[in-house]
Amino acid sequence: MSLYQPHLMTIEAIQDETPDTRTLRLAFRDADLAAGFSFKAGQFGEYSVFGAGECTFCIASPPTRRGYIECSFKAVGKVTRALRDLEVGEIVGFRGPYGNAFPVEDWSGRRVLFVAGGIGLAPVRCVLWNVLDLRDRFDEVTLVYGARSVADLVYKRELAGWRDRPDVRLVTTVDPGGEEPGWDGEVGFVPAVLERAAPAGDNAVAVVCGPPIMIKHTLPVLARLGFPPDRIFTTLENRMKCGVGKCGRCNVGPVYVCKDGPVFTAAELAALPAEY
Amino acid sequence: MTVISEADLQGLAADLLAAGSTVWGPARVPGTSRPGVEYRPLREAAELDLNAGLPLLPLKRVFLPPTEPLFWWERTAAEVRLVPPAPPSGRVVVIGARPCDAAGADAMDRVMGWGCRDELWFARREAATLVTVACERPADEACFCAEVGLGPSHPRGSDLLLVARPGGYAVEEITEKGRALVAAYPHRFREDERATLDELTAAEGPARIDLAAVQRWLSDHFDDETWNEIALRCHGCGACASVCPACHCFDIVDEPDSLLAGTRRRNWDSCQASRFTVHASGHNPREGQHARVRQRVMHKFQVFPKRFGRVLCTGCGRCTRACPAGQDLFETLTLVSARALETP
Amino acid sequence: MRELRELAARLLEANDVQVVIGWEEWGRGVRPAFARTLAEADRLVFDQRCVHNLATYLHPRRKHIRRLGRPAVVVKGCDARAAAGLIRDNQLRREDVVLIGVRCPGMWVEGGAEGLPGDRKWADRCVSCPQRTPTLCDHLVGEDGPEPDGPGLEAQVERLQALPMAERWAFWSSAFERCVRCYACREVCPLCFCDRCLADKSVPQWIESSPHQRGNVAWHLARALHLAGRCVGCGECERACPAGIPLSILNARLQQSVRERFEFVASDDPSVPSPIGQFRVDDGQEFIR
Repeated sequence: MSLYQPHLMTIEAIQDETPDTRTLRLAFRDADLAAGFSFKAGQFGEYSVFGAGECTFCIASPPTRRGYIECSFKAVGKVTRALRDLEVGEIVGFRGPYGNAFPVEDWSGRRVLFVAGGIGLAPVRCVLWNVLDLRDRFDEVTLVYGARSVADLVYKRELAGWRDRPDVRLVTTVDPGGEEPGWDGEVGFVPAVLERAAPAGDNAVAVVCGPPIMIKHTLPVLARLGFPPDRIFTTLENRMKCGVGKCGRCNVGPVYVCKDGPVFTAAELAALPAEY
Repeated sequence: MTVISEADLQGLAADLLAAGSTVWGPARVPGTSRPGVEYRPLREAAELDLNAGLPLLPLKRVFLPPTEPLFWWERTAAEVRLVPPAPPSGRVVVIGARPCDAAGADAMDRVMGWGCRDELWFARREAATLVTVACERPADEACFCAEVGLGPSHPRGSDLLLVARPGGYAVEEITEKGRALVAAYPHRFREDERATLDELTAAEGPARIDLAAVQRWLSDHFDDETWNEIALRCHGCGACASVCPACHCFDIVDEPDSLLAGTRRRNWDSCQASRFTVHASGHNPREGQHARVRQRVMHKFQVFPKRFGRVLCTGCGRCTRACPAGQDLFETLTLVSARALETP
Repeated sequence: MRELRELAARLLEANDVQVVIGWEEWGRGVRPAFARTLAEADRLVFDQRCVHNLATYLHPRRKHIRRLGRPAVVVKGCDARAAAGLIRDNQLRREDVVLIGVRCPGMWVEGGAEGLPGDRKWADRCVSCPQRTPTLCDHLVGEDGPEPDGPGLEAQVERLQALPMAERWAFWSSAFERCVRCYACREVCPLCFCDRCLADKSVPQWIESSPHQRGNVAWHLARALHLAGRCVGCGECERACPAGIPLSILNARLQQSVRERFEFVASDDPSVPSPIGQFRVDDGQEFIR
């Protein structure tokens, strides 16, 4: 089968996270694939709606869960709008896993900090669950997560579950003006809330995903907290088509986001031209 | 030395056509008054014209057609069926490829085989035999193959290399495929002990481009004013990419034929298009023509060689000839090379 | 030429404009130049090789050119008509540009009688040109030259029109088959200034983007129709096309049709509104039965 021919997937479950964000759970229609498919946290796929095209999302479910994959997306373009119109039981395509992964195996014994904004929680959720499913290997685990408003927080059920876990420190926030009655989390932009929460940076790694402006203001905070740039991980998004390094579209300077990424350290990003 | 006469070369084309092979070669284009030839699938051997200069368009479409189906989908009530395209059947022989075009295909092999193999590409590559004719002279002053590590009789990417001599060509067998072609049509080739393979060299003169220095300069001068200057006259028209033997960027689109079925295709695309890198959010990492012009030169002379060890350019000069606004890649490279060698 | 260089120098010195867009000599002939200093102004040239339509550089999207400041642009007859088209379509304000008209003698192209490169002949479109010397200009330089001669573009249009439909279709079919959808024709056209071209819209996909027969026919016919009444016959689309598609003939035919139906030719008078840009109660409307 050629590189470009997707696996067929059935939509098993649909969860609307926010008014404009949806999560799909997809099951492999091929039994062998369902049993044997594996991937690493951070990798992405190309998801097809036959007739509309393909779209690039990270795999949002953790690799420790077998038999299905999940993706979360906002309906902003042709393919995502077509995806949003599909119902449980309908068939989509999936090509992957592509790209590199978070080096979770290198984080043993360290503190792990996750910082996410908005739908940036999707790639973080994957690696966070990966870490939680192997909880004993790591020191403190912290998640600082914020969105524009309470309605915009994604994975609300999981957030509630993480709040209840004694082995996870969860800090949630909404932007000023985004709170509602009964909101008991923080109010403030993620970088400021992170600075107040002050997780220690020594012997720690950080995973940061979210809107570019959030990342831009979070990196200096992490530096102040003592995180060295080669232990801060983020993901780059870029317009993609083939996902496998052939079509020439996704390079940022000398790196191809689909092959050398999407996971990069802050140190690696600093060496790249500002072309993303 | 194996040799082939001009008449026998045309005869070889005829033999191959008679045997059911597809034969591509330089031929006049019917229905246009534009002077010159293009690589075309020949209907008869007499169409082959090896003396009309460098074909206007590159050979790459033999291996990467401007549009090609990736698969078809068909929907029923409960199922979706994906039907792959049939693999290319039958042999393809290109008679009269130029060294710059053969080398372009070789460059693209690196990307198409990087990590995972693009079987659509390689199936066509494996089915094709390239009989390259060396250039006796540059097409014009826009040619610069010798400056990018190639040359008018460079064998890279070719299966057979033909070098002109009185009455025909000396034949150098480069690959097993080339040897097999000679062995399959022995009546077309003969031995001539007096013949030698004179290497055709480019005009004498010092090299004007230091590729390593260019690569270094590009790594360090992302924000250089040079890009703004070059971008002024650039229209972002993409003609350069379509005539380049090494450019291979493509788009993937779905084309429904009905509510139930359609084709997913890949189509030629170009980094010069203003919307090439635009995100669904509207953000464009390469806003402005200077960024796109820079990408073209960077990809060919820094990004690609850094990863694959050779530049993504074969010095054919077509981009310079095709550009409606007077861009000159060789001029740009000599300028960059000179600047690179100035700075320590 | 000296007249042009001196004028360019005066304009730059007075800071009336910050860039003079003209032509310069180059290894392979002439090409567009952006003169910002007196030394660069002194290198400007004009002769029968200056085929480029410089009005295209006035598109509002070309921010890197706008950043240079107020431009002066050297315009031949067709270029001035293009500038008028931009003004007519509200893409350019007359006061934002200085137009240096030049008495155009007609342009040379390659290809003598036998199609051999190296021979030169007058471009067909120049033989057919309705007005080689601009009226829309702030200055006028150059000298009148001999009339270009040759068969002209009309002859090619008439030859095609005389063919039966099936043969005409075969001509265009095989021409469009060569198209690889690089969109060079669109990008060099002074009147193709849409911020987002119809062909680039995907929801819905009005025109299939693949370079197959039906996609290419749709693209070229859509573009020709969108240029009806607007194309100025500068020939840049055909010159830029790497596949050698004879776009000038298609556009010329549509301009003929607009002239017959609406008595309109895209002249360099921007105050004459285009047929698409106005509604006239006395429109012929003979096609409504």
